[in-house]
Amino acid sequence: MVYSIKQELYKLAHRKITWISAILLLFLMVFTGFAMAEDTKKLVLALTYDSSDFIMFILVIVGATSFSMEFQNNAILTLLYKSANKIEVYLSKYLAIFIYDLFLHVLAIFYTVTLRYTIFRSNVDWNTIYLYHQPIWANMLTASAIDVVTTMLIITIVFLLSCLINSNAIVITVSLLVTFMGQGISSDLTRRQMLVGIMKWNPFNMVNLTRQYGNYITYVITTHLSNLQLLLGSLIYIIIFFIIGYLIFRKKRF
Amino acid sequence: MKTILGLMKFTGAITIDTKSVTENDHHALSNVGALIEHPAIYPFLTGCQNLELYAREKADLNNLVSTLGMKSYINNKSKGYSLGMKQKLGIAIALLNHPKLVILDEPMNGLDIEATIAVRKLIKQYADQGTAFLISSHVLSELQKVMTKVVLISSGKIIVNQEIEKFNEISRRKYKVITENNEAAMRILQNNSIAYSLQDDYLTVNSQDIFQIQDELFEHQIHLEEMAPIEANFEQIVVNILDKERG
Repeated sequence: MVYSIKQELYKLAHRKITWISAILLLFLMVFTGFAMAEDTKKLVLALTYDSSDFIMFILVIVGATSFSMEFQNNAILTLLYKSANKIEVYLSKYLAIFIYDLFLHVLAIFYTVTLRYTIFRSNVDWNTIYLYHQPIWANMLTASAIDVVTTMLIITIVFLLSCLINSNAIVITVSLLVTFMGQGISSDLTRRQMLVGIMKWNPFNMVNLTRQYGNYITYVITTHLSNLQLLLGSLIYIIIFFIIGYLIFRKKRF
Repeated sequence: MKTILGLMKFTGAITIDTKSVTENDHHALSNVGALIEHPAIYPFLTGCQNLELYAREKADLNNLVSTLGMKSYINNKSKGYSLGMKQKLGIAIALLNHPKLVILDEPMNGLDIEATIAVRKLIKQYADQGTAFLISSHVLSELQKVMTKVVLISSGKIIVNQEIEKFNEISRRKYKVITENNEAAMRILQNNSIAYSLQDDYLTVNSQDIFQIQDELFEHQIHLEEMAPIEANFEQIVVNILDKERG
């Protein structure tokens, strides 16, 4: 298993997109820094210059190509027969993307700290009490940890779609739609008062986890769930979608 | 071949070294190398990196690279490789880590003459060291040069499974006979009820009759000019067997 993960990380590390994305992340964060209003300085630090949306975007593309590169390069057969079983293939790809996800979040924190002292010289102290009566540095770490869960939920969906649909263009499009329009779909689903009790648990709603952590008052009206409920919901959906994705992968003919 | 590698659903049982292979348990394949359909090559990696991805020993990797003559381009990105270069890399991947069984599907695809000879040598070298090869190919003449056993499959059924020596005997069942007087020889054969057929300027006879024919001709003082086995070509034999099988 460790060997398979190493192989996946080796492939990931040798793809240009992996490193270009990491540099692009910095530019997008700088862009956000310039675009944000003066009064959102604390929020910008807590949410690491809105890196969560950019990281999501990067992970969808890298994640969707993680399977499609195997199909396109005829490598899937070699990969499968050289692995002990199919779960090893699926899980090692998943864990490699998870490690990349962690790397991007650590990088975003590093970029945030660097930008705070260089381009956007901010006078906000890291110990200033901000969201949830916690210092900003704690907000930043919590938001990043929570965002790892949100992004992994999307990655789980991307993996599921990759096994279902052979075209990575469609997988990327659908995944981005879920990520960025899921909130709209979810609010439509929860509009009818009668069904709110059930519909608030729809998977699209869970995608709001990071956003709600940063803007609780605004988002709780549409999600109808607390942060903890969203977190638990996300974790449960990750397990469900992972199992469904793996079962599809197992049944798939190559 | 895909079934042996546990890549397809199947009924029955497959065992390699007493360990069974199933669609979802490939532990028995740890000493198996394969090149199936197309070589599995990541274009964003160099040839060397493609090998490093699976190689357990650097020395083994370097040995394969030099034997297959890939040194000059092995450190270039493989997206620029020609069909033959990719094929050689695919064969190298299959031969990495000293496998006990190697499965090759159309291994000579896209290879030039030099590369074909190099691959043939490599197959023989590995086979001499104890590696078993299962090769499928439509180019029978190429197979003929490396095989030691023939398995013919028609419509999913094994119709021939023989050592090459036995299989070759089929090709020597007929003999060509030229005498100083073929007309007289034919009469002698007829009188002794020996089957023959007349081709342009020679007679074709069955191999089991050649001693009797020699005796009879000697008795009638007819000299032999030539008596030699007719080597049917491999393709022809395969076609004949398949025709017979299909009725």
